[in-house]
Amino acid sequence: MLHEFAYHRPASLEEALGFLKEKGSAATVFAGGTDLFVNIRAGVAKPGTVVDLKGIPALRTLSWDDREGLSIGACVTVNELLQHPETSRYYPVLHAAGEELATYQLRNRATVVGNIVTASPCGDFGSPLLTLSGEVVLLSADGERRVPLRDFITGVKKTIIKPEEIVARVIVPVTWAGAAGGYEKLKRIKGHDLGVVSVAMIRHNGAIRCAVSSAAPTPVLLPDMPASSPVKEVQDKAQEMISPIDDVRCTREYRAFMVNVFIERLMKHLESARQEASA
Amino acid sequence: MKAITFEINGRRYEREVPEYKTLLHYLREDLGFTGTKEGCGAGECGACTLIMNGKPVNSCLVLAVEADGAVIETIEGEAREGKLTIVQKSFDEHHAVQCGFCTGGMIMSVKDLLRRNSSPERAEVIEGIEGNFCRCTGYEQIIEAVLDAAGRGAAEEIRQRDAAASSKKGGRDV
Repeated sequence: MLHEFAYHRPASLEEALGFLKEKGSAATVFAGGTDLFVNIRAGVAKPGTVVDLKGIPALRTLSWDDREGLSIGACVTVNELLQHPETSRYYPVLHAAGEELATYQLRNRATVVGNIVTASPCGDFGSPLLTLSGEVVLLSADGERRVPLRDFITGVKKTIIKPEEIVARVIVPVTWAGAAGGYEKLKRIKGHDLGVVSVAMIRHNGAIRCAVSSAAPTPVLLPDMPASSPVKEVQDKAQEMISPIDDVRCTREYRAFMVNVFIERLMKHLESARQEASA
Repeated sequence: MKAITFEINGRRYEREVPEYKTLLHYLREDLGFTGTKEGCGAGECGACTLIMNGKPVNSCLVLAVEADGAVIETIEGEAREGKLTIVQKSFDEHHAVQCGFCTGGMIMSVKDLLRRNSSPERAEVIEGIEGNFCRCTGYEQIIEAVLDAAGRGAAEEIRQRDAAASSKKGGRDV
């Protein structure tokens, strides 16, 4: 590492929150470290202390119940989510997106909550969790607040999180449990890669919900539309709402084009899945 | 500095480690385990793959202090007294090693794959090494080596060595 920092591993939530209240922005929390240590190495992040949340048992839980929905603790890794039977059963869109995230060994460290807190426009969990009306539970020494994911991410790598807060967990409500879903991601190579553009879609009770990543400063959630909508209508809605840019990975035009391709592909996929299920 | 205790390839270590040092750099620079390589340093290439508490991880993105209490397996723990494992022998025979830089991490990923799946299909081998870049071989020889090793009982060899290790609890202090 280019930068020398101190390491703190609190054993309880109280200890962690007290520490953050005292240190403020001089401390940076982490669980997987797959973004933080890359940023420290690149000289982009220079924390005085890194606070490892993995010693706090309350943040390790991954649980499902039919009233609260799915609760994903801050230290739950992507592979733990992928191996969780209820996640694949009730939220296939989340499972599909998790499988697209980086490599097997990285998914052993990277966390779902970390992916949201990093708030990269190409993060793989932003769009699927938007379609599922995900909520973010923030904790500080002064209390708890629960915020819809759509209000949590405010810009490129920007969120409403305060220096003394942590995201304790992400809640996926039961509203969309059981919805068929899919995730399409454009990459430069066939293997793992950061998303050039991606689309998450779920279908439930005759409605579809669609969200797009890497095509605007934040993931974009389209309004609910009838599943019987013509493909073009959904595509037009998406094009109206996204604002893709040119960058090292791709041009604006190609991103916009691929959003349409993915919407069509996902609508067809979810329609044939429905027909198979009812046949 | 923080005092930590951990186990590498069956040996117990008690050390004071700098808090900001990655596990990769600590192993290489302070303990001399140079079989684990640094490629990208950003969790993409997999040259630094080792197995920590039974799971393969990119050690360039793990702090040494995070290894407190951990059981670590590196490539140095594979061959014993000059005798290669079935996987290593198969890599040799299939010319799955050219420059060798990716090999240490690659073999640790393969070991983990064979623990989870004793007779992987070709597609499962490809998936199992998705996080390990090789810039020499084009992967073909590596895939062949893994399939052949699996066919020759590599998973059983790993299982037997795991069983022998767990009956010898604690490990030797260093």
